[in-house]
Amino acid sequence: MNLLLDKRQEGPPLVVVIDDDAAMRLSCRKILVKTGLRVETFEDGMQGLDAVARLKPDVLVVDLKMPGISGMEVISRVQQMDPSVVIVVITGYATIDTAVEAMKSGAYDFLPKPFSPDELRLITNRALERRRLMVEARRQELERELLKRRFVTFVSHQLQTPLAAIHQYLNVLKHLEGDPAAEARRREWFDRCLARTEEMLSLIRNWLTLSAIEGQCLARQRVRVDLAPIVASVLETCEPLAEAEEISVESDLPEGCLTVGDPDCLRVLAENLITNAVKYNKPGGRVSVSARASGGEVILAVADTGIGIPEQYQRFLFDEFFRVKTPNGSKKPGAGLGLCIVKRIVGELGGYIEVDSQVGVGTTFRVHLPAASGRHEVQAAQEETGAACTTEDIDRG
Amino acid sequence: MAEPVRILIIDDDPDFKASVRSLLESRGCLVFEADSGREGLEKLPECKPDLILLDVMMESSSEGYGVNQAIKWREEFAAYRNIPVVMVSSIQQEPDEMFPMAGELEMIRPDFYVRKPLDIPAFLASLDRVLPGRILSGTEPR
Repeated sequence: MNLLLDKRQEGPPLVVVIDDDAAMRLSCRKILVKTGLRVETFEDGMQGLDAVARLKPDVLVVDLKMPGISGMEVISRVQQMDPSVVIVVITGYATIDTAVEAMKSGAYDFLPKPFSPDELRLITNRALERRRLMVEARRQELERELLKRRFVTFVSHQLQTPLAAIHQYLNVLKHLEGDPAAEARRREWFDRCLARTEEMLSLIRNWLTLSAIEGQCLARQRVRVDLAPIVASVLETCEPLAEAEEISVESDLPEGCLTVGDPDCLRVLAENLITNAVKYNKPGGRVSVSARASGGEVILAVADTGIGIPEQYQRFLFDEFFRVKTPNGSKKPGAGLGLCIVKRIVGELGGYIEVDSQVGVGTTFRVHLPAASGRHEVQAAQEETGAACTTEDIDRG
Repeated sequence: MAEPVRILIIDDDPDFKASVRSLLESRGCLVFEADSGREGLEKLPECKPDLILLDVMMESSSEGYGVNQAIKWREEFAAYRNIPVVMVSSIQQEPDEMFPMAGELEMIRPDFYVRKPLDIPAFLASLDRVLPGRILSGTEPR
């Protein structure tokens, strides 16, 4: 079954009604057409099943008691044919037990006779909503599959590229042993090999962080934390990088910006935002970091005076492996996982992140986290036993 | 002494270019570099390469194919059409897998492929094959 590839006709949803009672067929048609649906009616199970196969309806309304193929039989065959068709059974009071039976075998709901037009409309709408959710769930599942496949390709490429570069340096050195030109470059190449090794290590650390978040082991600890000292210590570790890039860093970090979360997690979050602000800046540029508490939230803002992010790329910003190009078309070193990590951490902590960016002027990221309400005490990560997740492996770089 | 073999490397990985450059220079080649497909195409008139080493995945995952197609088929590059193009990638993926629309494949199929990292003796031997009369594999490093 592939819902996305179904060539369902454009237009309103289609309801197929199977009932041996002509008056019932007529009134169902009238009621449902009035609500803007397409309706096809059939008088027995055989014709009805043929129609389901042909028309691929969204919802099937079927009478349980019919001569020939019974309603129960119709349900089980439709289930085999296309489990995404949502089935509603119509039944007389005498056969409520059968209706329950029908629902056990896959019908979504039942409508006891006699029913009012409103009841039919209501139940059909619920069935259509159910149908919409099923289609949506399937679509998301397909999307995830695609993403997973793409992930594998990217991962292998991103690991292979530096490995191939390192291998090739060593191989050429070996091949050209004794060649003065190559010997002269030996030291420089060793440094490049080291740099590429670092790149791979950082990539792997980032993946571990991501999968830790996915496994929900990262933000296990929920304690009251003040953002100010955490961010301040991150700024300290980023100083050498900023100096090397000639970036000045200013901060406004008043104490008392209390939130609830895992200190290590918050550190990773701040580190990623601040190193990005330095990396994607201009020489002589500025990074401003501030925290404040306001309206039940604490807000961490990291602003740079860098290259900015063109509007059309902003929606990809938090995607895995997305990286902003510099104006000359090159990319900064990195795997494109930093902001993805940030977004997941923010989500995990119950907050959200905003971005303001102007090409050539700079970018500001604002992380909104729920403020600690005062009743949050150290909530042990140990509540759940057994899980051997630590935050030791979190990328510090 | 014969004219040196002119080789243009189009690749976005500076380390790959650095090591291949040394290898080829040790064989007496004259090496030119371009960081992107576009830069490579722009440099053709200046470099007049005898051979092009072309990375597959640069900015996009198939940029190399676009460059190859341009060189082999676009009128403005007609003068360079016969230059052998060697496509290089760390991921082994035939164009048939990448672009499952059969008809046009011949337009982008490179003269041959090599994988990253290069198997140096095999790489040099294959250069000998596409550059008739020029022996790179046999010559000792200078």
